[in-house]
Amino acid sequence: MADTLQGSTVTPSKAVPKGRPYGLLFIALPVALIVSFLFFPALKSIFGTIWVKQPDGSYGVSIATYQFFFSDAYSLANLAQTLWTTVVTMVMLIAVNLPIAIYLRFSKSKLAIFVQVLALFPMFVPGIIIVYALIRYMGPNGLLQTLLEAVGIFGFQSPYLTPWGPVIGMLWDAMPFTLLVLTAGMSAIPTSAIEAAEDVGASPMRILFSIILPQIKNSLLVVTSLNFLGLFGQAFMPFMLGPTSPEMMGPFMLRTFSSVRDPLQAATQATIVFALCSLAGLAYVRSIARRRAQEVVK
Amino acid sequence: MTGWIKRLDWPGYVLAIFLIFFVLLPILTVFIWAFTEQWFYPSILPTKWGLKYWFKVLERGDVWAAFFTSIQLSAIVTGLSALICLPAAYAFARMDFPGKQLFMMSFLMGNAFPRFALIISIAVLFLSLNLVGTWAGVIIIQLLNTILLMIWLPTAAFQGVSRNMEEAAADVGATPLQVFWHVTLPQALPAIGAALLMTFVWTFYETEGAWLVGAPRVQTMPLMMMSMINNQLVVQYGAVLSVALWVPSLVALLLARRVMGSDSFAKGLGA
Repeated sequence: MADTLQGSTVTPSKAVPKGRPYGLLFIALPVALIVSFLFFPALKSIFGTIWVKQPDGSYGVSIATYQFFFSDAYSLANLAQTLWTTVVTMVMLIAVNLPIAIYLRFSKSKLAIFVQVLALFPMFVPGIIIVYALIRYMGPNGLLQTLLEAVGIFGFQSPYLTPWGPVIGMLWDAMPFTLLVLTAGMSAIPTSAIEAAEDVGASPMRILFSIILPQIKNSLLVVTSLNFLGLFGQAFMPFMLGPTSPEMMGPFMLRTFSSVRDPLQAATQATIVFALCSLAGLAYVRSIARRRAQEVVK
Repeated sequence: MTGWIKRLDWPGYVLAIFLIFFVLLPILTVFIWAFTEQWFYPSILPTKWGLKYWFKVLERGDVWAAFFTSIQLSAIVTGLSALICLPAAYAFARMDFPGKQLFMMSFLMGNAFPRFALIISIAVLFLSLNLVGTWAGVIIIQLLNTILLMIWLPTAAFQGVSRNMEEAAADVGATPLQVFWHVTLPQALPAIGAALLMTFVWTFYETEGAWLVGAPRVQTMPLMMMSMINNQLVVQYGAVLSVALWVPSLVALLLARRVMGSDSFAKGLGA
């Protein structure tokens, strides 16, 4: 399959005459859908937060909703809460998955298969079931607390409904994706390079920083940028597992839209989230653009 | 295998124990609760096992209503997604047209936005179009969710079809349509089936879009489960539903992944 894949990118299509843009017809529908229901609403809601109906009924430029957001202590606390949760979860994702990826790359034991199956398993568990399972497991009087107390460890503080609740839920959720990307990057490292470094007496730490990390730089970039976007924009996990005050931007936007019924303020919050995430988005787009350019050259 | 890990496998044991506590035990908890009739606090295992709550859940009309709503929504979304995306996947795999790279990128760009902020901005638009609380609104927002998967996996499948066989069929006089129908499609079909299956399961469990645009008028299964977790004193309802719905979907997803190969999805996201 790999051969045919490569072959097809090298030899230009024979069956369809080149230069006739029939293909555009085939892709018109999904493109139209993306443009009209993704790019258009995003731009429209951003524009709508600045071009606002004035008290006299006419429309004009106003940044009142932004002024409100940045002078409102609760809004700012929610933003800070979101940043904290995102950064802590991102660091923990790398801290948990990098050792697993390294272990899977260099170990061929039966235990490695067990570790891999368990680490990728959350991929097959829908968010709603994860949430339910975690509440029953680590919630107050849950199975974890019971088990700890059975072996004599008391004083378990449940992370449920604390800022650590969403961190644990999102760590669960994002683990398989992070691991898959890291393992894909890791598979490109030649075993011979590691063995050669070991032969000249390099320490494991040295091997990690001088050989492994530089090789998986692009994977780390993809993982970091996509995880930032994914975590920052989460609503479901923080809503179910996290505290209500301060809350993350996801549930905050949801409440502003559905309960407070202030779509303009919700759109303002969304715009602020877009702006803060644009760097990560840019980094992601650049890295896939570079990757695709390489594929075309090949 | 390299030396410093070969010597002793303690990293493996540390990781395995961590994953047992972090991944396996929470899932096990749900299974235990589903077959529990009574579980008093300090006891490690339920004080009374049984199937009582399975019958109670199956008797509830609102559960069945939400179940059929979700099945119908998922079927409609998956069907529409296939209709819209499969021709595009074929075009990306087999045709040349101006701006091909750019368009492929624009689909991947959907990932470059924070998801829930996007959903909010779509919901703001839907509010002015009176689509909030309607099936049409939920279908559109869930459809958007499926496009990337439904284009990416089938594109890889079409690219994997042997070009020699297509050309051989064309040489003996088959029309392009016959080539597609008798040569290309049958070979790509398993992977397309896998994409359909995954799309169906993912749509069934899609929560955030349905929650913001559909609730409370369109009650899907995940929304039903959310309210059970938040408002119900009886723990077992959620557990029974989780087990009953998740086991079939797990089998479906495992089948889909068997067909697809393990790392194609990570690659699709630019890994």
